[in-house]
This record gives sequence, structure tokens and C-alpha cells, in this order.
Amino acid sequence: MEKDEIHRRSTASSSSSSSSSLQPRWFASAKMVAIALVPLAVLAAMIAFIFGPGQQFLGTGTPLPEISIERIEFQEGGRIIAYIRNTGPIDVTVAQADVNDRILPAAIEPSKELPRLVEAKVIIPFPWNEGEPYEIGVTSSDGTRFSKGVNAAAPAATPDIEQAAFFGLIGTYVGIIPVLAGLLWLPFIKRLSLQKYRFFLSLTAGLLVFLGIDALVEGSEIAAESVAGVFNGQILIVLVAILSFLVLMYASTKLGQRSKGRTAATTTAEEEEEKVDKLSAYDDSIHASQAKKTLDQQQQHHLVVVKPVAMALMISIGIGLHNFGEGLAIGASVVLGEIALSTFLIVGFMIHNTTEGLAIVSPLAKTKVRRMIGKIIIMGLIAGIPTIIGTWIGGFVYSPVAAIIFLSIGAGAIFQVVFLIYQGMAKEETERGGKIMSDASIIAGFAAGMLIMYVTGLMI
Amino acid sequence: MITLKVIVVVAVAAAVLSTAFAVASQSFVDFLATAQDAELRKNTIGGHTAGYGLHETSGDVLDPASSSSNTASDEVAIDPDTYLRSFNYGRVSNLTNGSTVREFTLVADDRQTMEISPGVFYNVWTFNGTIPGPTLRATEGDLIRINFINNGTKPHSIHTHGIHKAGMDGVFETINPHGRFVYEFYAEAFGVFPYHCHVTPLEEHISRGLYGVYIVDPKTPRPEADEMVMIMNGFDTDFDTENNFYSVNTIPYYYMHHPIEIEEGKLVRVYLVNMLEFDQINNFHLHGNLYQLYRSGTSMAPDEYTDMVTMSQGERAILEFNYKYPGQYMFHAHKTEFAEKGWMGLFVVKDPTQTGGSDGSDSSSTRLLETKTISGDVGT
Repeated sequence: MEKDEIHRRSTASSSSSSSSSLQPRWFASAKMVAIALVPLAVLAAMIAFIFGPGQQFLGTGTPLPEISIERIEFQEGGRIIAYIRNTGPIDVTVAQADVNDRILPAAIEPSKELPRLVEAKVIIPFPWNEGEPYEIGVTSSDGTRFSKGVNAAAPAATPDIEQAAFFGLIGTYVGIIPVLAGLLWLPFIKRLSLQKYRFFLSLTAGLLVFLGIDALVEGSEIAAESVAGVFNGQILIVLVAILSFLVLMYASTKLGQRSKGRTAATTTAEEEEEKVDKLSAYDDSIHASQAKKTLDQQQQHHLVVVKPVAMALMISIGIGLHNFGEGLAIGASVVLGEIALSTFLIVGFMIHNTTEGLAIVSPLAKTKVRRMIGKIIIMGLIAGIPTIIGTWIGGFVYSPVAAIIFLSIGAGAIFQVVFLIYQGMAKEETERGGKIMSDASIIAGFAAGMLIMYVTGLMI
Repeated sequence: MITLKVIVVVAVAAAVLSTAFAVASQSFVDFLATAQDAELRKNTIGGHTAGYGLHETSGDVLDPASSSSNTASDEVAIDPDTYLRSFNYGRVSNLTNGSTVREFTLVADDRQTMEISPGVFYNVWTFNGTIPGPTLRATEGDLIRINFINNGTKPHSIHTHGIHKAGMDGVFETINPHGRFVYEFYAEAFGVFPYHCHVTPLEEHISRGLYGVYIVDPKTPRPEADEMVMIMNGFDTDFDTENNFYSVNTIPYYYMHHPIEIEEGKLVRVYLVNMLEFDQINNFHLHGNLYQLYRSGTSMAPDEYTDMVTMSQGERAILEFNYKYPGQYMFHAHKTEFAEKGWMGLFVVKDPTQTGGSDGSDSSSTRLLETKTISGDVGT
């Protein structure tokens, strides 16, 4: 794209300079700018018309106010805090607040006047009871009431050491221990015949697809429940997931290219960097920078075994993002009183997440592991630690929009890994002259993977 | 090898970035919001009901229970203080046979948006620009003449409860916009009656505010008393056929922060009418006292001596009581939900020998304080 643009620019300037060689060079570029501005000028005129003379004849329909209650906090000492946001097309004034549809004195900060998309905090002194359901409402100046229910009131988590440690412990049990335990399947995986190994690799793909779908569904639920329509939550999920997929695809292809040695240097490193910069402008600076780092190393190193390790690493990053989302959900649910963290639930998460360890080690079956124990553990931690971070963020500063973004990045990452797994297997198969979908063990593995996840998921 | 380390670094960076993002999306916005309001106006809420704890805020207070807008303003659907003791006896003239003619003018409108609870504006339909419409009052045997003008955009009418000819019932002769009609009938039976618009959809025409009270006094007047009108009503401002606000005389909680002053030992007579739409029943509970209940006000003998009367829509009664002891006494719907959505108020009983008779010109801040002190017994 970049090259195209440069090319076009040069032809444009050369043609203009050749046609009117008397005109100075700045004139040509000024003309260029002017041409680029024409559509904008038309647009500006349109907007001016709509806000000016056209207002009358376009002003049909009644814009309705909308207030979203994004978060409700129950504080010790009899106080309920509701974080509200004006997500409608017009400014609103809040007239009153209620608990369970009973009008109560309340304070609103910073002001009862809420311009579009602005947030306010409604403080209602109220002697709430732990574990009981509540519905918090606010009424706008036109008498419309907006409300949100909480299944069971639970005291808001204050970000102190004790609470952080509690969440850390949950995160460790749910994320780190199961994943690390799952890694212990490595010796088993290594002793398998090719056919059985493929079964397990495919099983991994099945597990991952389940996790990816799970992340999308979870994100969609959050979007529907807590994200105001104005943010287009569900579209955001799809967009972020696709972008995450594409960016990781790009990064992994680069990784793959390098593992085969440097290809003919048709492009300079600078151009490569430009590409990366453009990518990061899209969205995901994280992965873009990852790609950039890889490029830097391209000149220094020449690794042969990088592919399975890289794949394992990518799986662990994907799972890490997924677990981050899981952590967010756990933290937020504890605070919102939506789940009681029973022993059973923790055990359910543990069993469910152990399979994630298996997913990480599967690609490493053909690799010499002795020198990589440390790396494998690091990968386990990459997959597991985000759970803890997730519980902290979910518990202390929950944001539904952030939650769906992380879940979608995770989903994109997971689907990309699945793509890579099958790409690898398909390549092997083609080399041997077969077709991937004719391999029963692959199909069976995939099905088994999803079923395992579904069944263990029933425990949560 | 280095690739791996780099990727680990990236993963950690991702975690840090994500944390930063999540933090930014909530707390940082909060922080900015507070920072803008640096002057820190201090307002206090709580105390409306004991045990709720006080809270100091730099923001705005949302509390219809202890404050209200300027009810004298044209924007407000009614001034409950004025309405309470206002009786419209009409333009009086005499027929040749000697009977009294009382002529009233009622103008219906459906175009205004008025404040029906502090800060809440609603498209109200009114008689003479207020909800409730004016209280019409006559004596048994008078000829009533109501000049009705429809100033609205929809057909309206006046249906008065009581005895009259079919053509004066306000049901079949709906008056179109800009139309007029003269209702004429004799005040045949004494009592307390509602009048309201009877155009369909009836529910809408009533719940929007087209109603008022019509009192017919017996020929032998009832004993001298401090008389007042209370119409129990409510508003469904979000059109879900459930009321969002309840009250007597329209403004929720109004008589909580503007208690009704009465004199110790003096007879009080309340003309009580229930015009509440959507809910099956409504009721009136008086604290610290019992009242003589005259159902429909059609008899001089009380039906009951009680502190609770329950009515469905259109039912009404006369309540008579006097207070033995000074102080503040609540009255409210003993359907607690209604009470907690605005249907509650206070009588303040003054000892005339001590205060020399207050004329109700207390500063509102004193009233506020009194309100806060007293409201500990909500929910009795």
C-alpha cells in the first residue's frame, strides 16, 4: 500500500510538472492538497447546511434520552454507588435516583447535567443487605427511568493488599496451577506415534476453538448486558478479533520466513519498519511491536527450532489473553456478587484449565526439550499469570469495554493458532501426498477436544 | 532464544498495557470528572430517613423528599399550598325562582410540559392549567353551569359524578379542539365528587391530569372547620402503565418539606378523592389520631372512626379530625410503595396559645430541619 502511494504520488507530480513545467514545484503540491481537500469541503458544506438552514426540514423524530448504568458498587456503611453514562443522542438531566424503584435522596457527582457520553457517579445512602438482589434506577428529567439489577449485593472490593492477595490466590488456583499441571503431559505427548500425536495436536485445536468461541460468546454477553449501544460492542468484538487474527498472522508468517533463513532482500529494513508502523496505527501496538522486534532480530539470528516453540508460545499468549478475560470475569463477578466462589467452582475451573497446558505442549512433541524446560515453564506462566492480573482489574476497576476488547484479542489469537496448527499438519500431509481431512485421527481429535472442553465447562 | 525473551517482554508489555487501558477507561475518567469540579461545593444528603447516614458531595443533590422547585412558577403543575385550601364557588347569580346559579369556566389543554416532581417534566393535560383542576364548590339545590372550552389538540369533555341529565354527562358529546360546551345541572345530592375528562382512551385522559374535585355542601352546612382538599394521584412518566410518582395534590413529598399547619383542638375537614390511575387501590393513613369517615360525603353521620381508609379510583370521602397534642404527624398511603414514591406528608399541629397562631410563613429552612428530625418514623 505504502509503495503504491509513493508510486502514485511520483507519477502525479511528474505528470503535472511535465504538463506545466513553468509552474513552480510548490504549486503542484498545493494543487495536490487542494484536490485532496475538495471532498472535505463538500462534506463541511453539507454539515453546515444540516446544522443551519437544513435543520428544520431534517428535524424529524424525537431523540430519546438514554442513560446506561455501567457499574454498581455496594459500600460498607450503607452506601450504594452507581456509575452512569449518558449513552443517548441528547444531553440529559438526572432528576432522581431510586433503589428497588423507591425514590431516595442521592448525590450525583460531578453534576446532574450529563452531556453526551459523559459519566457521573450517583451516591445513594442506603442500608443494603449482603447477598440480596437490588435494582438501582435513575430517572431523567422527562420522567424516563433507567435501571440495572444486581443479583446479590456484595461489598465492593477495595484495592488493599488483603483483597489483592485474595484475588491473586484465586488466580493462582484457577490459572497458574492448572496450566502448569497440564504442561506435565509433555513426556506423554513425546512418546506418541505420529498418528496419535496428530490426534492430540488436533485435540489441542479443538480445545482452542472451544475457548475462542467461548471468548466471543462471553464478550457478546458482556456487550449486550453492560455496554451501551452507542459503543457498538458486538461489532467491536468482531473487529478486534479479526484484527488480532490478522496481526498475529502477519507476525507468525514473518517468524516462519526467518526460520527458513533470510529470503532475497527485496525490501529494506526501513520499509519493513514502515509497514509495522502502519499496522500499529490500526490497533494493536502490542503485536505490531512484537513483529518489529522479530524483524530486528532477523538480522542477528538464525534459529532452526523456532517454529514449534514459536507456535507453543503463540498458543500460550492466546491462552493468556483468554485467561485474562476469564480473570476479569471472575474478579468482576465476585465484586458484583454474581458468583459465589465455591470450592466446586474453583475445581471446575482447574480441570477446565488443565487442558490449556496440554494445548501448549502439544506442538513441542518433536522438539528436544531438555534445554527448554525453563522456556516451557515461562510459557505456562504467560498463559496463567494473566488470570491473576485479570482478577485484579476485574475486581477493582472493571470496565466492560476493556473486557470485551481483551476477550476478542484472545479469540483472534486463538483462531490464528488453530489456523497455524492445521496449516502445519496440512503441509506435512501434502508432502506425503495425502489430504488432511481424510485423516480420521485429526477429525476425531478435534471433536474430542471440543467435547472435553464442553464437558469440563459444565462444572463451572 | 532471544526471540523468546523478546516475546516474553512483549507479553508482559501487553499485560501492562491492558492494565493501563482498563484503569484508564474507568478511574481516569472519574478523576478528570472530579478535577473539573475543583471548587468543591459541599452539599449534604441523607437524613430524610434516620439511619441512612449523611453524605457530603461536591456534586448535585437529588432529593425530592426534602426540597422542591419553586411551586409558584408557571412551570410547575400546581402549587400544593394554594390548592389545598382553595375553593371556587363560581360566579353567583339568581334565577327568577330564587335558586342560586353558579357559573364556572373550565379550559382544557393538552399542550404543556410541566414539572410534576422536582426536575421531572411531563406533558400534562390540564383543566385551567393545573393538576388537579380547580375545586368547584356549590350548595345542594344550586344550578351549576360550567362553560367548557377545549383549548387543546385532542377532543376532551367534562364528566361530573352526581345526578344529572344524560346529555350533561360528558360522555357522548365530546368537544373537539377549539370547541365549547355548557354543562348545566342542579347540585342534587350533597357530597364530594370527582370530575374528569371522559374521552377515550380514558386511562390516558385521566392519568395525564384532566380531573378535579367538585363539592356539594348540604343545605344545613357542616360545622365550621379548617377545610382542605386532597386528591390522591400519580404519574406514569415512562408509559409502562405503572406509576412512577405518587402523591396527594400532584407534587411528590411536597407536604413533607412544606408541612400543613393546623391548630391544636381545631376541627380539620379533608375532602379526599382518589384519582390514581393504573393501581387498583390507594389509601390514606393518619398518624397519632383517628378520623370520622364520611364515605362519599353523602351523609351527615360518619361511617367509621378510623385512621385508615382504602379507595379505588373515583372513590372519595370526607375525613374529620382534630389533634389533641401539638407536634408533627405524618399522613401517607399505607401502601408503602406509594409512600416511598412520594405519597407522604406532614401535619404540623400548633398550640395557638403558645405561638399566637402561625400563618404558615416559616422559613423553608426551618421546615427542612423539622422534616429531617421527624422522618425517622417512615414505615410505621
